Amino acid sequence: MTKKVQDEAPARSAEAQAWIDENVAEQQVRYEGIVKEMDELAPTRAKWYEEFLHIVQTKGFSADGDRRVVIKPENVPQKPDRPDRVVF
Amino acid sequence: MARPHIEPYVELNEDFKKFDQLGTTGSHYKILSLDVDTGACTLKVRYNAGFSRPPGMSYSDCEIFVLNGLMTVGDTTCVAGHYFFIPAGVATGAINVPQGCEALVMYNDSEPSFIESDTNHPLANTEGFISVNSYEDMPWGGGSIVSPSVATGCMIKILRYDPLSEAISFLYCMAPKFMQDNISYHDCAEESYHIWGTSWMMQFGELPTGGYFWRPPYINHGSFRCELGTLAFGRTDSKLHNYFHFNPWSNVDENILRAGAHLYRQRPDMFKWVASDGHNHPHGPDDFQNPGYNHPHEH
Ligand SMILES: [Fe+2]
Repeated sequence: MTKKVQDEAPARSAEAQAWIDENVAEQQVRYEGIVKEMDELAPTRAKWYEEFLHIVQTKGFSADGDRRVVIKPENVPQKPDRPDRVVF
Repeated sequence: MARPHIEPYVELNEDFKKFDQLGTTGSHYKILSLDVDTGACTLKVRYNAGFSRPPGMSYSDCEIFVLNGLMTVGDTTCVAGHYFFIPAGVATGAINVPQGCEALVMYNDSEPSFIESDTNHPLANTEGFISVNSYEDMPWGGGSIVSPSVATGCMIKILRYDPLSEAISFLYCMAPKFMQDNISYHDCAEESYHIWGTSWMMQFGELPTGGYFWRPPYINHGSFRCELGTLAFGRTDSKLHNYFHFNPWSNVDENILRAGAHLYRQRPDMFKWVASDGHNHPHGPDDFQNPGYNHPHEH
């Protein structure tokens, strides 16, 4: 394995660790805000899913580039019995 | 846990913070995303008028994309659209910002670091250095760089391509009225910053100017719409394959299984070699979009 510059980096300073810790904490707050905002979008998103599933059965699903494939009703997925999640 | 899923995030409404450590005095920053373990990060940095930094290097690979204003790096004058890939250990010339400048600044391996130096570190991968103005010195190319590909109307300029990981950094645009009616996910993390314009994804809604995402692997995004056009900077951290499908409710676990099924179909011997150590799917994983294709075993 070729040795890299990164392998020679000095140990992280206390100052750098404090910078990371402060910003990780703030990022966590932003993340929670995003999750909340995305939860609030759920009713609108459910309508978007419905419209999308209509489009793939009529105009078609974008399979590759501009090639569309019309999906048969029996192949359209059903909503599973679990909460929908978009932020992981 | 690496970087969390930050999507959507609109930075224009947030305040800058003073950068007074790690060799960046005289600038302000906002964190767009931050790896909680390594400190690797994507920042929006505002270099104040009069900012000056001596020649030097970092112990991390660093990418810079100039958003507005002007900075000189050594004897290179950089305006909006200028892109740098600076491998760890490569010393760049002094940076001077006469009248203010904003840039995306990305440290890929660790937290921001700066060592004053006018020579490269002996181990520096000097041939990896890139300096180009992406707006003025490169033509747009079609977006279909992989197969299956995006729809016509998404164009791209590849700024950096890593031949080993196939990670790419790129400028992209979406034409007005762009549409793509599928849901996508990838094996790689994907990152984007909207320089100008608004586009829409079915999970996250509209992402306007100043909008950003860092999206870890296997997370659904799309379908896609862009009403009036978008110019954006994007990156992946490894090879991008478009796993397109039409199940809005599939989750990350199902998407990974389906990606495994794809590997099993296309590179069966490699799949078996990888799967032979650890949890074993000798007949291939489940593919929700093609049930039964791999004769999956019962769990
Ligand atoms: Fe994507």
